[in-house]
Amino acid sequence: MQTGRSRTTMTLALAAVIAAPPLLGAQIGVQRERNVPNVYAITNARIVPIAGPTIEKGNVIIRNGLIAAVGATAQPPADARVIDGAGLTVYPGLIDANTSIAFPAPPAAPVAQGGRGGRGGPQPTQQGGPTGAPNSLHPIGLQPELAAVDLVRPDAEAFSGPHSAGITAALTVPSTGIFRGLSAVINLGGTSAQAMIVKAPIAEHIGFTPLRQGGYPGSLLGVFSALRQELLDAQHYGAEQAAFAKSPRGMRRPESDPSLDALQPVLAGKIPVVMQASSAREIERALDLAKEFKLRAIIAGGEEADQIAARLKAENVPVLMSLDFPRRPTASPDADPEPLRTLRARVEAPKLAAKLQAAGVRFAFADGGLTNWSEFLTNAGRTVEGGLTAEQAVRALTTSPAEILGVSDHLGTIEVGKTANLTVMRGDLFGGRVAQVFVDGTPVEVRAQTTANGAGMANGTWTLTVTLDEGEKPVTLTIQQTGDQLRGTIQGSLGSSSITNGSIGSAGDLKFRATVTMGAGTEEATFSGNIDGNLVKGTVTIVGHPQGTFIGQKPDTPGGGRRGRPPFRR
Amino acid sequence: MKLHISALLLVAGALGAQQPAAQKAAAPTLIKNATILTVTKGKLENTDLLLQNGKIAQIGKNLSAPTGATVIDATGKYVMPGIIDPHSHSMADAINEGSLSVTSMVRIRDVLNPEDVNIYRQLAGGVTTINVLHGSANTIGGQNAVVKLKYGRDVDEMLFPGAMPGIKFALGENVTQKNSQQSSQATGRPLRYPATRMGQEEVLRDAFTRARDYKASWDEYNAKVKTDKTAVPPARDLELEPLVEVLEGKRFVHAHSYRADEMLMLLNLAKEFGFTVKTLQHGLEGYKIASEIAQAGTGLSSFADEWSYKIEAYDAIPYNVAILLRHNVVATINSDSDERARRLNIDAAKMMRYGGLTEDEALKTITYNGAVQLGVEKRVGSIEIGKDADVVIWNGDPLSVYSTAETTFIDGEVFFDIKRDLAKRDQMAKERAALEAADRGNRRVVP
Repeated sequence: MQTGRSRTTMTLALAAVIAAPPLLGAQIGVQRERNVPNVYAITNARIVPIAGPTIEKGNVIIRNGLIAAVGATAQPPADARVIDGAGLTVYPGLIDANTSIAFPAPPAAPVAQGGRGGRGGPQPTQQGGPTGAPNSLHPIGLQPELAAVDLVRPDAEAFSGPHSAGITAALTVPSTGIFRGLSAVINLGGTSAQAMIVKAPIAEHIGFTPLRQGGYPGSLLGVFSALRQELLDAQHYGAEQAAFAKSPRGMRRPESDPSLDALQPVLAGKIPVVMQASSAREIERALDLAKEFKLRAIIAGGEEADQIAARLKAENVPVLMSLDFPRRPTASPDADPEPLRTLRARVEAPKLAAKLQAAGVRFAFADGGLTNWSEFLTNAGRTVEGGLTAEQAVRALTTSPAEILGVSDHLGTIEVGKTANLTVMRGDLFGGRVAQVFVDGTPVEVRAQTTANGAGMANGTWTLTVTLDEGEKPVTLTIQQTGDQLRGTIQGSLGSSSITNGSIGSAGDLKFRATVTMGAGTEEATFSGNIDGNLVKGTVTIVGHPQGTFIGQKPDTPGGGRRGRPPFRR
Repeated sequence: MKLHISALLLVAGALGAQQPAAQKAAAPTLIKNATILTVTKGKLENTDLLLQNGKIAQIGKNLSAPTGATVIDATGKYVMPGIIDPHSHSMADAINEGSLSVTSMVRIRDVLNPEDVNIYRQLAGGVTTINVLHGSANTIGGQNAVVKLKYGRDVDEMLFPGAMPGIKFALGENVTQKNSQQSSQATGRPLRYPATRMGQEEVLRDAFTRARDYKASWDEYNAKVKTDKTAVPPARDLELEPLVEVLEGKRFVHAHSYRADEMLMLLNLAKEFGFTVKTLQHGLEGYKIASEIAQAGTGLSSFADEWSYKIEAYDAIPYNVAILLRHNVVATINSDSDERARRLNIDAAKMMRYGGLTEDEALKTITYNGAVQLGVEKRVGSIEIGKDADVVIWNGDPLSVYSTAETTFIDGEVFFDIKRDLAKRDQMAKERAALEAADRGNRRVVP
């Protein structure tokens, strides 16, 4: 690519920027864009800087990737592209406090051969691909030297999901293994890996998942022993290296081990460990391990963190709280009832954040591996229903992760001189929709997510004709789609009731149940069908009746995937 | 039966969540007018028992209740020491680290689940102490944990203070089968040495030889560091450390074994390396070599009448435990099962039927002898003044199938009470109904 081409891209039209974020197609070796004015002004918007009081009507000026000015009187410079922010609210760019994004291929299953007593076994075969660290003496999955900074790649496709959830930056690390490696905070945009890095290394990540394929450790039992042995080995290695450095004469040179090297700052408390732990006992075990080796602990996941909030507070351990709230299992009818505690944990998941807040435990929100990005803000919003204030919830997505991860100099608030990561909402952060994000000063259009869930295609009011053995029944179906879940009502000549168990797949295949009023009484009906644009049709199953059909349309189509005009003015 | 279990599950959930994490010493309890089965000192009719400060404070007639004491009228009821299960896998989130032949570095303590509902169910069967063992997938397995079933407490509070550390060994088919060609092909896992009993002996010999060398390297360092402060200590080896402890008599060996020949092999090998095998686990052919086991100072923990579930269990007889006891082997009955652990009293009673044991001898197989095998006989296993107040009130003779445990105390605190259990069910059903209603809005896992 030549420099000229870049210039063309920027000057052609902003629409081009919108349609194809500049990071799309970025490859290693592509020259960076240069000499391109990179000045934007969002005017007349509501601004929530977090660092100060909310500005009901003001401007944010962005120049060369940084916030140049913010306030009611900040004037758009002459060279700025002006974005009319009327009706928009500007928040600091949201931070996903723990994820595994920007790694080109999913890490292959670790091929472990194990060793005696947790020591590194023979060099693993390299079919593990990119997640194996070169020249490591330890099996894949127990290589703490693996560094996100060496593995991340710009990936516009992968970033579009987080962008749609308003996320502009994230802590990222590979998602498999026991020692998972050193994480990095990256901006979700940029033309090269280097440009994406905000700070690295941030933390050593530990997952307590056994290695697969028969190697040691193959169980949770072995995971703890292997961790312990490697940490002990690292302590011993550090002592040997120190002794050798002091007086190398007469001492055999200690063998170099990159894994044990990488653990030195961890053991010295210079780098924290992020430990994946969900249930109360998993968190306790993680904290016990951290205590044993005097590690600076951060808990990731933390589903039951409220049960040990006192210890987390006392030991000053922050929680990167998963927003992937537990889901209802589809249990067989004759299964034992769920334990009450499981049920309780699920129902009360949205209250967790408020409980941590009340207990004085620091926390930030993380995606927790959720697959449907629309749930990210939905579930963050549910923490407000669960007792958090809206401001506390916003902080859990901005300043709190920035502080916990040590990047608050760059990220987390809208302040002059900070990185221009912004999340622009139509409406509030919770309940509104993401209109636009800025990543490192570059606007990125938010694309509706059609991959996972049909992107709200079921939303709205549908006029149905249901044909049953009793004849044709006109029915009005009102649906609210959240992620792949449907709620709503049916009303009309089948009576009125709420729909239950509603879901929709990526291809528009939907299913829900409703109680319908038939001649003799009420029956449970299962609706199963498909949405194609404005049309929906399918079958109705009622036990004891011949299968019926339904067909209908949505008269008030607000437009499918593209929602309105981007908030740009040329 | 199904309903019964669900109800227990319900109550267990509430107790687990609602009990405070730690409490001060329990208030005193005076149990009046009971038939007390002391196990070591016979049966005491119409006798009172005072539990105070977590200990058995007094045993006698017409004891007076101290201030603040709970008084229980146990007329017509029986009191026995809490049952000890010397072979359990309850509470363990992982049982086997089967990847290697020697996994002495793994610790059951790391994976204990203090909220396992089986704890509560076993309390309801009068069990107060269990020995949670690693599985039998490999010749040298992991380190066990001796646990008091203080349901709802932190793991640290449940670990039996002062219990001897132990380690699980395993001989015979479970070890070889896992490594067979067939199993390897079926699971895609690599073959693991050893595949024969010969190999098992070699693995043991090799491991203890390495442990000796390791110990020597530390001895050398400890001698050197006295004069040379800059000496670098050897690298710690978590695999060999527990084996050194075995050699030094600081850690008990509990060895899964079935056949007489493999048991003799282990006893001989232990003699060669200078340690004593504390218990043979299962040991269904123990009766064939009872004198040899007794001579080695080794105990044995068996099933009452489980056999023929695999080739090496074909020669079992239900007289095993009785014969061993008659040869002065410290023998016990264990459950090895979440389910059988709830009715070990019945398994003990079978020993009277089969082996003609006395009542006390039968009770010893699930109480005192287990305490000896775990090195806690000074603390639990019988009703004696000064011992831990781990006692159970039964509504009849615990060696009768018609009897039920009513109240289970550990360190003087009630951890199961049948009346409380019944009283809670209604409240829990209500909570469940409310939660289920609230849960209907939650997203369901798409199968």
